[in-house]
Amino acid sequence: MSEQTPEQPRIGRDEWVASADERRAKSIVGQAQNALDRTPAALKLVALALPFAVFPLVVESEYLLQVGIDTLIYVLLALGLNVAVGWVGLLDLGFVAFFGLGAYLYAAAASEYAGRQWDATLAIPAIAVTVAAIGFLVGLPSRRLVGDYLAIVTLFFLQIWLVVLINASFTRGPNGISDIYPLEFFGRRVTSQQGYFYVALVAFIVVISVLYLMNRSRTGRAWRALREDELAAELMTMPVNRLKLMAFAVGAGVAGVAGVLFAPQQGAVFPANFDIVLLITIYAMVVLGGPGSLVGVTVGAVLINVSLEVLRDPDDASSLFYAVVFLAVVLLLRRPWWSSLAVLGGTVVFGLVVHEIAEQARPSLVQGTPFGEARIDEVVDSWVLLPADIVSPDGLPTGWLGRVAYIGLVAAILGLTLVRSRLWRSVALVPTLYLVACVWENLLLPQPAVARFVLIGAMLVALMAVRPQGLFGAQRVEAV
Amino acid sequence: MDWDKLVQLLVNGVTLGSVYALVALGFSMVYGILKLLNLAHGDVLMVGAFIGWGVLGWLGGAQDPSVAVWLLIVLMVLAAMVGCGFLGVVIERFAYRPLRRAPRIAPLISALGVSFFIQNSVLLLFGADFRSYDSFDLVDVEVGISWGPLNVWILRVVVFASASAMMIALWLLVTRTKLGKAMRATSFDREAAAMMGIDVDRVIVKTFFIGSALAGAAGVLVGLVFGSINHFMGFNYGLKGFTAAVVGGIGSIPGAMFGGLFIGLAEAFSVGYIDDLTRGRLGSAFSDLIVFLILVAFMLVRPQGIFGKPEVKKV
Amino acid sequence: MSPDRAPLLEVQGLSLAFGGLRCLDGLDITVGEGEIVSVIGPNGAGKTTLFNVITGVYPPEEGEVLFEGQSVLGLDPHQIARRGIARTFQTLRLFLNMTVKENVMTAAYGHTRAGVVRSVLRTPGMRREEREIERLAEERLAFFGDRLIGYRWRQPAYSLSYANRRRLEIARATAAMPRLLLLDEPAAGMNPVETHEMTELIGRLREEGGYTILVIEHDMHVVEGISDRVVALDHGVKIAEGSFAQVATDPRVVEAYLGTSETRRR
Repeated sequence: MSEQTPEQPRIGRDEWVASADERRAKSIVGQAQNALDRTPAALKLVALALPFAVFPLVVESEYLLQVGIDTLIYVLLALGLNVAVGWVGLLDLGFVAFFGLGAYLYAAAASEYAGRQWDATLAIPAIAVTVAAIGFLVGLPSRRLVGDYLAIVTLFFLQIWLVVLINASFTRGPNGISDIYPLEFFGRRVTSQQGYFYVALVAFIVVISVLYLMNRSRTGRAWRALREDELAAELMTMPVNRLKLMAFAVGAGVAGVAGVLFAPQQGAVFPANFDIVLLITIYAMVVLGGPGSLVGVTVGAVLINVSLEVLRDPDDASSLFYAVVFLAVVLLLRRPWWSSLAVLGGTVVFGLVVHEIAEQARPSLVQGTPFGEARIDEVVDSWVLLPADIVSPDGLPTGWLGRVAYIGLVAAILGLTLVRSRLWRSVALVPTLYLVACVWENLLLPQPAVARFVLIGAMLVALMAVRPQGLFGAQRVEAV
Repeated sequence: MDWDKLVQLLVNGVTLGSVYALVALGFSMVYGILKLLNLAHGDVLMVGAFIGWGVLGWLGGAQDPSVAVWLLIVLMVLAAMVGCGFLGVVIERFAYRPLRRAPRIAPLISALGVSFFIQNSVLLLFGADFRSYDSFDLVDVEVGISWGPLNVWILRVVVFASASAMMIALWLLVTRTKLGKAMRATSFDREAAAMMGIDVDRVIVKTFFIGSALAGAAGVLVGLVFGSINHFMGFNYGLKGFTAAVVGGIGSIPGAMFGGLFIGLAEAFSVGYIDDLTRGRLGSAFSDLIVFLILVAFMLVRPQGIFGKPEVKKV
Repeated sequence: MSPDRAPLLEVQGLSLAFGGLRCLDGLDITVGEGEIVSVIGPNGAGKTTLFNVITGVYPPEEGEVLFEGQSVLGLDPHQIARRGIARTFQTLRLFLNMTVKENVMTAAYGHTRAGVVRSVLRTPGMRREEREIERLAEERLAFFGDRLIGYRWRQPAYSLSYANRRRLEIARATAAMPRLLLLDEPAAGMNPVETHEMTELIGRLREEGGYTILVIEHDMHVVEGISDRVVALDHGVKIAEGSFAQVATDPRVVEAYLGTSETRRR
């Protein structure tokens, strides 16, 4: 018979779990996390906005400032898409139509074509509300539709929007509307780039604050509950359909605001601005950054837009590309510490060998000049198979090497995911990396516009398979 | 009453409809088994069209084919079917299978990525130019069936006939063979099917293969009838094919066939008559709007489509 | 239960079939205020379907459901929940990725009013309401002793043990401020100690919370321990009603569970 100890453990209280906080406070990482949790949201917002605010002061090139403005607009779009996709889990494939609506509505409110100029203090809220209302209407079919069907209906909506834009006379078709007046606040026009940058920054701060506050309220809780289990949410008093419509409307409103900023800053709007490509780019931003996380989608938007800009210029593109590949290899092959070096070294050797063989056997394969002119390209030139005339005068791909290498690369990467043993995976990585370089030099670099989208598509698939929560999203547990 | 025009529109509609039916079948089958909308399906059709074009070029081109025309077409279709079948299998294995237990939105986003990737890969490899099947060189326009107001070019007959043959073959497969039974069982209840000894993964792979092969064949047929292909064509066919599947009843094979015909005819007639109906206010580009309205109407009023059964939630 | 007060819940002639399968067949049930009524029956008897019809998930083919004297047929589930009927689920349906406290707070949506605008502006009214919702959640969770309080509040629901998840689901249902609680197999999958605790809990729910409770249960110990009345169903039809002793020995009930046989073994 055991003696009763004087102090009984309390029933139902798991001491180990209960002391988790104390244990966390003992580690450095834990202390940092605690500090982060304790900082008020307003301070975090300032920290997030500060780099943007300082940006125009340290940057002088007009081009870079334009990139900054575009980035902020993308951030707004990503924030808007996050509401429906990240918080509620609804796949809204018509999202860019709301962006276009906002832009065209502003063109209708303040352009020479429309013959009027509304003050921005009136235009911005009015258009935001209008677009939100249209978002509400578009969301109406969602009451009867499972998520997949809703995606298609919204996609169709985007299609119809594009058809109307291109064919209706009052939208001036593919030529768009091009004499849009700049933003005017209380009669004072915004004409400088810095001005638009700060307007966009203010919009960003306002939108992210509003979204944050919305999320930390009963509406945000209901959205998250709806995403978890729609039926249970409805049975727990939450009006599921109304909440879905609200999510659509809020997302649409944010997109509308982005459109209102986009139109005057560009001076013109064309239907081509608002196509599927833009839609998938924004999806990539949300998915990469972390669906459901405001900070995450902001970071995702910045990362992707900046990368896309860098990829425009062949020289910088190469540097960025090789840097990313290098980083990926180093990060993925951490254990043992020398494995990444071994693989990279092996790739270099492999490449040199192949290059030598090719030079002897069929010299035409290595006579091309690299497309980019960064130093890395010159180094790579002596190493990669680069046939002459890989690009025709019109910039179209010619020659078989790049294409075969591309197919081979896709097969190799897919095959790599099937290999189980770490050793063989590292071995197989060597020719794969070489193929990556070949494909880059031969096919992707000469066609940067297409290359970007190929990479985005591949990234989306890879992210969903490997890390669906993106960079900053919370890892989710799904009921089976 | 312009009979010639009416008959012509009928022919167009039926031809187009049989192609849409093939695409719808692929959608329906995959959705029936996996409850997944394969948004990349239209792009599989596009790849099929390019494979067909590649074979055409390899065998001498439309002007001077090195084999008989009928054999050429058969080879093109077969190559596209096999190639696209494998493409579908690869897509399933790498983009969808890892996400079997993820929330519904995940494979859809993955499908978006796949679609984007395939479109731009083709653009990367082949450029943006429209490629032509040169069908008029291949088969003389004069060759055809003429009967009263009916004046059908032989290629359209070929398209309709081959599409129908494939659909009949598929229907026989699904209703008469063991594989078909396994497919139907898996689409009813995947877990129970697995417990009954059905290798669910293999059934899914075969379903994807067949569905994608049909899409690939549809791609070649489209190229033959409409002449030119480019990397972006899959999007439209995908949307219309999906609409056809929904209208007919997603998961139902006769439904997909019927839905395809319905949408094909609806599109042909709206293109043909929209000018008259709206007194020139809306051009033929707005025929898409008609299809969209049909889709929305069905989704709201009868989401299970014509041949589908209403889905009951098990709580 | 005072006989002259109108029953809280009245189900009349409820019928529903799924395809060829008839789940409910002319079912009549009444539940008086403050009662604890158990619904028993073999699997497939229609018990969960009954709950689904009452809460508005499925519309019946025929029949009527009256709550507090008014029909709730045709209402959306969330409207019925707001009227005062909350439930738990046979297979747990928690919001797994939300914290324990948040799970309970969500159910308070129906009886709170802060709209989107007020939430964004953080009006004093909205903030007061948020504090009340939090306090309500803490209170409901405290009902289960030390199990779901304090450090547990901030943990995600997927980290809870099975029994705790069942308790959380009950806590969440009570946060919707219902008058009628529908518990669908609350003790399913629990060991004897947990089952005993659950039995006491259901009693306490009525004593301290004042809820009227309709329970589906298979464990006869629980049914015996909690019920004022027991209703037995089979194939969608009520086959017996009365006290536990009456129903447990009713030959039709025994036949439904055990089948007929020439020699009955006891």
